Amino acid sequence: MNNNNDNPMTPQQDNSASAYPQQNSNPVPFTQQDNGSAYTQQNGSPSPYTQQENSAPLYAQKESSIGAYVQQPQMYAGDPAPAAPLLQLNDLCKRYPGMGSYMSVFHMNLIIPRGRIIGLLGPNGCGKSTLIKMINGLLTPTSGNVLINGLNPCAATKKIISYLPERTYLDNSMKVSQMVGYFADFYEDFSTEKAFQMLSALGINTEARLKTLSKGTKEKVQLILVMSRHADLYILDEPIAGVDPAARDYILRTIITNYNPGSTILLSTHLISDIENILDDVIFMKNGSLMLYTSVDSIRSQMGKSVDTYFREVYAC
Amino acid sequence: MLGKLFKYEWKGFRFPMLIMLIVLAGTTVLTCSVIITINPRYDETFTWYSVMALMLSVFLYYFGIIGCSLGVLLIIAIRFYKTCYTDQGYLTHTLPVSTQKILNVKIISSAAAVLLLILAVAGSLFIIAHVGINHILTILIAESHGTLEDIAEARRVFFNEMSTVLTEFEDELGISLGMYLVYMVVYFLIAVIANVVTILGCVSLGQLYTKHRIIGAIIAYFVVQFILKMLGYFASMPMYAKLMRVDSYYEEYTAFGIASPTMNLALLFSVIMAVVMYFINLHMMTKKLNLE
Repeated sequence: MNNNNDNPMTPQQDNSASAYPQQNSNPVPFTQQDNGSAYTQQNGSPSPYTQQENSAPLYAQKESSIGAYVQQPQMYAGDPAPAAPLLQLNDLCKRYPGMGSYMSVFHMNLIIPRGRIIGLLGPNGCGKSTLIKMINGLLTPTSGNVLINGLNPCAATKKIISYLPERTYLDNSMKVSQMVGYFADFYEDFSTEKAFQMLSALGINTEARLKTLSKGTKEKVQLILVMSRHADLYILDEPIAGVDPAARDYILRTIITNYNPGSTILLSTHLISDIENILDDVIFMKNGSLMLYTSVDSIRSQMGKSVDTYFREVYAC
Repeated sequence: MLGKLFKYEWKGFRFPMLIMLIVLAGTTVLTCSVIITINPRYDETFTWYSVMALMLSVFLYYFGIIGCSLGVLLIIAIRFYKTCYTDQGYLTHTLPVSTQKILNVKIISSAAAVLLLILAVAGSLFIIAHVGINHILTILIAESHGTLEDIAEARRVFFNEMSTVLTEFEDELGISLGMYLVYMVVYFLIAVIANVVTILGCVSLGQLYTKHRIIGAIIAYFVVQFILKMLGYFASMPMYAKLMRVDSYYEEYTAFGIASPTMNLALLFSVIMAVVMYFINLHMMTKKLNLE
């Protein structure tokens, strides 16, 4: 375990603390004290999440189990350069035009390793989708940067990211089979066979035009297309938000079945109870800031709570 | 990857372009149908009817071409907006292709769609001219109780006259027919591409008005057109200056010599505007992209 003050993925960051007051118009309830040991509410009243012995919430701890997998191995002269992290956010900020000084994403630092299924959790409007769009190159950061395999978002990074947006984004005039062809044409890592297998398993008519399909079926088709790639990083933005419980089960099964252990899945949702069983780690976001990045096991073992219960406690209104 | 982008861009254009070409073909057939009812006999009934039919055919064809041209420009703008700035933009902008390549493919495909329409209009005009000339000649010969040979002879004479006019083209305009055709083809190619880039740029500029993106694009288009019109007035100054000198000093000027500086200047302004709009477009698609 190390002191995470130098670690970019923990919330105890000097830059975060100094930058919070910039968002005065939208007060952030948690801010870092000078000693860097705990978060308290900005109005000075004691925060329910202030660190206390043995019962401190994970995001308020100086050393958490997360440190175990973010430590970099000690380097020696002559060692080959270490591979760049799969995803790294460096002091990432995003302010939309017309939003005054409010930042949708606020000084985020994060390293995402390979081989994990990570839940990106937070209430509506906390900046999850904005963060995801920046990772995919759909938004330009106001400051800071996103590195995927050491590269800023570009054509090369799009080759290794398989992204499912929260919108139905396919061309409605095309047939399902044509859409499969489209993905096969553009993505070298796309498996047509796998896509048709999954479509057939779900009984989706591949000759149907997308405009004739229901919203739920379209979402299934999108997910199948995204999961039929052998990408390094899957980013799924609210994949289960608009579908019925039976479809949710199918979607989660699809994610698990098609998950390549060398890849990472970043899954954004606020329906935590549905997905927490498949998650390795969770990222909690609030008001555009990183609150917590830890493993699901840590929450269960140290807090004795499910992620869903813990989430409700942290984000209680 | 570029080939694949072109392939899907054309697939997207295929159906709406087909509709426009069908409309143009329908307009051509209707215009031809009206033309062949024209009877140039000089009696009261036929003269009135023929004048009306001639006017109807001109209006029909004029509005048909205007409709098709506007239709194609709308298809280009709507397709660009839909694929780049609506939900489909998530698909377009996450393809493993650079934004510049995506923009270039969209410009070239859209310009190709406009050129296809221009070719179709040229073909349609040729058909109408052919039908009209044949019809008039046939009626005139029939009125004078001529035979089929007379019709063929009249047609031959007519085309001989036309070729004489074309050979005198250089004397009249101050440029050979071949050079003039090359000049016009190059002029149209550049003008079409510049126009397409400007339209796509206006769609992108409209994205700055996040709540009314389409209205923003329309406003941007009118502003750009206003600027181009103002520049057009500057461009026409050399022509007016030369025309005044022709009147005052009886200097020898050819029609092409008078018009070409203005045409070149107008084209230069369009190209400058297109270059500016291209970089605005690229900037909007990379730095200012904000999909809902």
